[in-house]
Amino acid sequence: MSGRAFTPGPVVYPVETDEGWRPERRMMLLFLIAGFCALLIGASIGPLQALNYDGVNAYPALRSIFHTYYQGLTVHGVLNGYVFTFFVTCGLLVYLPARELGQRPSMALWGACFGLMAVGALSLIYAMFDNSSSVLWTFYPPLKGSPFFYLGMTILTLGSVQPLPILLKMRAAWKRAHPGCVTPLVTYMSLVTMLMWTLAGVGALSELILQLDPWSLGLIGTIDPLINRTLFWLTGHPIVYFWLMPAYISWYGLLSRQAGGKLASDPMARMTFALLLIFSLPVGSHHQFSDPGFSQIWRAILVVLTMSVAIPSIITAFTLGLSLEYAGRMRGGLGLVGWFRALPWSDPSVAAQVLGALTFILGGATGIVNGSWELDAIVHNTTFVPGHFHVTVGSVTAMTFMGLAFWMIPHLTGRKLISRRIALFSVWTWFVGMTIFAIGMQWAGLYGVPRRAWVSALPHETYHALYGVAATPTALIAVGGVILWVATYSFFLVFFGTLLFGRRAERPAVPFAQALSGPVSHETGVAIPVATGHGASVLANRLEHVWALVGLTAVATVAAYVPILWPFLHNVTHSPGWVLW
Amino acid sequence: MTPFDEAFHASAERHERAFIVCVIVMMALLTVATMFYVVHDFGLVTTTQSFHSDPTAAEREVAAADTGRVVKTGPNSYAVHITGKAWRWTPGVIHVPEGAEVTFYVTSSDVLHGFEIQGTPVNLTAVPGVVGTVKYTFHRTGVFRIICNEYCGMVHHAMIGQVIVDARAAE
Repeated sequence: MSGRAFTPGPVVYPVETDEGWRPERRMMLLFLIAGFCALLIGASIGPLQALNYDGVNAYPALRSIFHTYYQGLTVHGVLNGYVFTFFVTCGLLVYLPARELGQRPSMALWGACFGLMAVGALSLIYAMFDNSSSVLWTFYPPLKGSPFFYLGMTILTLGSVQPLPILLKMRAAWKRAHPGCVTPLVTYMSLVTMLMWTLAGVGALSELILQLDPWSLGLIGTIDPLINRTLFWLTGHPIVYFWLMPAYISWYGLLSRQAGGKLASDPMARMTFALLLIFSLPVGSHHQFSDPGFSQIWRAILVVLTMSVAIPSIITAFTLGLSLEYAGRMRGGLGLVGWFRALPWSDPSVAAQVLGALTFILGGATGIVNGSWELDAIVHNTTFVPGHFHVTVGSVTAMTFMGLAFWMIPHLTGRKLISRRIALFSVWTWFVGMTIFAIGMQWAGLYGVPRRAWVSALPHETYHALYGVAATPTALIAVGGVILWVATYSFFLVFFGTLLFGRRAERPAVPFAQALSGPVSHETGVAIPVATGHGASVLANRLEHVWALVGLTAVATVAAYVPILWPFLHNVTHSPGWVLW
Repeated sequence: MTPFDEAFHASAERHERAFIVCVIVMMALLTVATMFYVVHDFGLVTTTQSFHSDPTAAEREVAAADTGRVVKTGPNSYAVHITGKAWRWTPGVIHVPEGAEVTFYVTSSDVLHGFEIQGTPVNLTAVPGVVGTVKYTFHRTGVFRIICNEYCGMVHHAMIGQVIVDARAAE
């Protein structure tokens, strides 16, 4: 039998018929452009850091921009990790639910969200580019940056929780109009994500507002490094899920429709999000396995919780794989792998998301390594760790957002992509570059190559004596970095090219997926409300009680953190600040 | 739903259940495995010696404990007290005998540092105001490098020390 019996070409999206969403579309576009501008700066710096590990020191030539590798690394981490992801997510998690529910979001709040984040981001950029705050994206005290850095970070974070009240208001209005119905899937997932992030934000916000802001302004003289480190990771681990969950929303809520199929299971998607909410918060201190100061018993409990938080992600892999298999089979794919080949690979949005998901096999598995206490001792703070998170946030999140941009810009602006081929090229090069880079980083980490170290500035003999043993992996890091440079600029060629010069065309509608087991969607493809008790699964109904989930999460988080913080609070260290760059 | 959808859905539900059971079993086994090795190799785990409200006090304590020399604490055990300060380890070169259990007492007197001995699982955060400890036995002679793996400023990458493991004198 011929292997090419399937339907070729991309899936045709339904055409947008509702033209009444002009202000929302413009606001969404603003969030998207702001986020991707941050990525443009952040991602442009990345390959310099990759070359650094291969012993190539580009920084002396860039002295007019960056004084040190560490300054560039701070900009890279803050702009990619916080500014890019926060802007895209805070746009998306309001826009998609609004369109799904047919409810108008509060433009005042949404605008305030954008305004706060823009002020915060500009303040951060100022503090980073004048080299007053080369503290890296983790800003561990007692390294002391400028007040513009900490205040900017505070304002950015405060802005990023604003979508929560907007979502609650839209959901309440929708519930009044549809009594007894479960919340449609994309709205449910967005709401759980924002609840998770708002709870998680308590850690970093209390670190910033109670300690770092007044400290940097000179109102308090000393601070405790361990307490602040613990509060940072209270937010710093869940932030991983604030990066991943919007990507999961796209995979569950849109991707199966884009691939020409249906979502395999709606209740499973809800359960995944509920588990992510509960387990992502109490586990942050697994980043502190190497720290002294807290009990071994709590480290062991953290291991169990960390292994638990992997479960919803592995379920996601299953449900996503199944939904894609369904799509591939509907398109005529046969046999064990035929369905995979039959996916609409010529659609850059689908290719970006599926390839991003593939890299997550490596990213997820190495995450389990990091979370395993004994193994963490070997890889902690080596290049293994950034190797891991470049195939989570650097591929899953970044590529899913790139994929979103490929349908969203035509949807928002009514302009056609200037080149589907360049878009596909950027996605494939990103996939190949990031995979090579991540394998190199993880491999080098096993030789003890430390993360965030300007190793190329060492004398040549010292570099070779220390890291010559990792010559092959460090070469892979550099090769991956250079490929990523090509990927970045070809992506932005399509992104800005389409915004400025894209041909006018019909707008595609938001490709909301329909669940295989769920009720049949009406012609617009927007998810259909399910009445409680009739048709809705028992699981979906139980999980409607989001405030109970929040309560459970809060109790678990307090239970996890009180025993960790207890010895620190009884043995406070008064550390003065240091500016060492 | 079409007959294909029905069949696909039924088989998906069955596989989903089996998959979830497999995932939970796998994660449970991994948890047990990592805990087993932690208990088996307890010395490699970071423990806490003491807290000090003034970071310079922790530095004093470590310095007073005969910095620069390896203190013999038992028939085949030694203690070394080390302070990280931007951008060097004190002592910078540590001699230990092959096959002896060495306890490292590590602290910092300014910012965070990372005490990593390349080629071993020794990996401990040096925190101002806290003395952390970790035990390790070197079974191979030669030079091991202490690499600072927690960012500590401009010259962080050059904060390198040495542990030299000496062969036991023939008796």
